Amino acid sequence: MKPIKTLLLIAIAALLALLVSPYLGLAVDNPEVQHQIVTQLRIPRVLFAFIAGAGLALCGMVFQAMFHNPLATPFTLGVASGASLGAAIYVYLGLSFTLLGFDGGTFAAFIGALVAISCVYGISRHQSGFSPETLLLTGVAISFFFSSLILLTQYLSNLSDSFQILRWLMGSLTTVAYRDILQLLPFVALCTATILWLQRELNLLTAGDDIALSRGVPVQRIRYILFFVTSLCVGAIVALCGPIGFVGMMVPHICRLLIGNDHRWLAPASLFFGGAFLILCDTLSRLIIAPAEIPVGVITTLLGGPFFLWLLVKSRSKGT
Amino acid sequence: MTVLLDVRALSVNIANKVLLSTINVQLQHGDYLCVLGPNGAGKSTLLKALMGIINSNSGEIILNKTSLSSLSQKKRARKISYVPQAYGHQLDFSVLDFIKMARYAHHSVFSDWSRDDQNALEHALSITNTEDFIHRQMTTLSGGESQRVMIAAAVCQQAPLLLLDEPTSFLDPHHQVEVHHLIQTLNQQHGISIIEVSHDLNHATQHSKHILALKHGKVLWNGPSSDLLQSEHLKELYDQQFVFTTHPQTGATIALPSETSLGNKS
Repeated sequence: MKPIKTLLLIAIAALLALLVSPYLGLAVDNPEVQHQIVTQLRIPRVLFAFIAGAGLALCGMVFQAMFHNPLATPFTLGVASGASLGAAIYVYLGLSFTLLGFDGGTFAAFIGALVAISCVYGISRHQSGFSPETLLLTGVAISFFFSSLILLTQYLSNLSDSFQILRWLMGSLTTVAYRDILQLLPFVALCTATILWLQRELNLLTAGDDIALSRGVPVQRIRYILFFVTSLCVGAIVALCGPIGFVGMMVPHICRLLIGNDHRWLAPASLFFGGAFLILCDTLSRLIIAPAEIPVGVITTLLGGPFFLWLLVKSRSKGT
Repeated sequence: MTVLLDVRALSVNIANKVLLSTINVQLQHGDYLCVLGPNGAGKSTLLKALMGIINSNSGEIILNKTSLSSLSQKKRARKISYVPQAYGHQLDFSVLDFIKMARYAHHSVFSDWSRDDQNALEHALSITNTEDFIHRQMTTLSGGESQRVMIAAAVCQQAPLLLLDEPTSFLDPHHQVEVHHLIQTLNQQHGISIIEVSHDLNHATQHSKHILALKHGKVLWNGPSSDLLQSEHLKELYDQQFVFTTHPQTGATIALPSETSLGNKS
């Protein structure tokens, strides 16, 4: 199938998800209450899920391209843990400030994310070049390290802060309101714009650092720009709805299998697919054991894993 | 002939290990330089330092009277192109997409595929005879096809200097000859200056114009290709005695490793 057709199908699916999801699982019969629920709760939640899913998928896609490895994502490399730690410390210290109208937690998470990626990249690059194995292992180690610091922060916090941190660490979209969309959208938009701007560079980075450099890509500078915008994006998402895992690994990989490695198509496909995917997961999270909810992070992992394996096996038996 | 490339006292250290130590070498316009040397001599490092893939610690690289350190990577890529060691089969791109990506250095963010780009592409495809498989995936190519595509991409970049890192090391004799012939054509008919890293002593002495022999990161010998076989340094270069014969067709002198090793020579 031509990339344009695949992309259109993905975009239509995303649009359907946006339109249908708010009306699923309305437990009340009163039309007035239904209207209230849809406009005040469901629509902001679905919009937020779309933006967050798109951002997570794009950041995952960028990491996979930069490190030439489908397993390298902001979550596996500890960036999300760093962001979580930043946000947890923000809660623990009882900080509450805004900067340029944005919540301080976002910036705390952003700083945590930047510290994490600097550690991972700095350590794994210490020797000449860096191997994917070293990178992933460093990411896992940093991830564990930050996770234990989060536990410590939680342990030191009072009961209500501790509960707040725990709830949020599970990754949930339950309490999202319109205001949160405005807190998230600028960061995801900045990240998206940068990625679309750098699509040629991303294509060449996928081919390897040596090829990219020999074609004229200033690899180091591009990498730092991408670290910066993805850390902002992941920081904002993590601060607002907690670390929702696996979207950034599976969505771009599935999109690669569907549409190929050309970021001209892959970036918009990941954006729409990521958005639709998180809406789907969030809808399931509130339907499965309604009226109770499962944290959406659990759903993303349960749903994505088997699907990913299925596609992997399918592409293997088709290829070669 | 005028000087295209002037490498002055180039040194590269990585993790406190000296990989290249005060290398001096010049390349004329239209030259074909083969870099020889034992494994670990710094041959690939030299190419990577020229391409800007690794940074040099000291020294200067001057291309067409411009110091490369003052150029952006993009501008460098308009002057130098590079074919890495056997690599192509790992790339998950179609051949056409991969070759088209080589036009990056001639593009800005908003530029479209231009007439110049299309000409460069068609030219590269026809020289390297790769038109027939542009719609295949890189991963499905044979070693010889893959190497021709890698060269096609480098040619499409339209740089006056082409660096090749062991372009024939993993190929069978037929495809070795094919790629050697292609490199000769690029050099002689299209005026592209070549620096090729090779382990094939006889290929280097017969086909290249100059040879740079590296050992332990230092220049051991540098001169016209045909002179290396008479040089005392040949034995020292590989720690190996050679015996000589002539090619039955061309009459060129061929070096063969001697059966008696250096250690127990009589």
